[in-house]
Amino acid sequence: MPIIVNLDVMMAKRKISLNELSEKVGLTLSNLSILKTGKAKAIRFSTLETICKVLNCQPADILEYVE
Amino acid sequence: MQITITINHLLKVFEVLAWILFLGLSVEVGALICNTVITLFFNTNGVQHFWDEPKYMAQLITTNDYHFVVIASNMIIVGVLKSIMFYLIIKLLSGKQFNMEQPFNNILKNFIQNTAILCLGIGIFASYGSNYAISISKQGYPTPDIQALHIGGADVWIFMSIILFLIKLIVHKGIELQNENSLTI
Repeated sequence: MPIIVNLDVMMAKRKISLNELSEKVGLTLSNLSILKTGKAKAIRFSTLETICKVLNCQPADILEYVE
Repeated sequence: MQITITINHLLKVFEVLAWILFLGLSVEVGALICNTVITLFFNTNGVQHFWDEPKYMAQLITTNDYHFVVIASNMIIVGVLKSIMFYLIIKLLSGKQFNMEQPFNNILKNFIQNTAILCLGIGIFASYGSNYAISISKQGYPTPDIQALHIGGADVWIFMSIILFLIKLIVHKGIELQNENSLTI
């Protein structure tokens, strides 16, 4: 898929672990893992909004389009 | 005291009913095969032990073996296909493969597809058998009770097969939607 999820990059920049993010965002670890590994087929705006709020970033920092 | 009937209770009832019907049909088919083999190869008086329309079958065997074989084999094939259908239902229900939380899966899709194929087979053989019985009745043979020979209702089986094929297509789409939904974060 040409959309790449850079969640791990943002997590490393903010020095936040997967467990911590999972607690703050309110998503299960397995769902976050699916998102992080790029296996997810879609992401809800509400989820994206919460992740951006917690990581203090823009959606473009997490999602990237590559040809 | 309030009694609540859950889906699991209903599935259990269906499983018991499917077992009863499967056993009944298997016994009937076994008896039909035994009677046909005995009548054809050992003793023509065995035809009197046919449960369905023994007089009609006796008339066929005494006048023309070929007509007897065609009608009896159609009855056997229809019975076997019905038994296989109930076996598939038992396999689905007793194997705990039916999950109401996520009902759309490949097991259900394959079950519906196989049932549709079996229904089509029953419809084709029942139609051929009943049309054959009607055609030979024009040659002077008696007209049998098609329902008693268990080869009636061919059009209903074919209609059911078409409906099941449509349901299979819907389930196929359901599997895609369910997979997409489970991967939506």
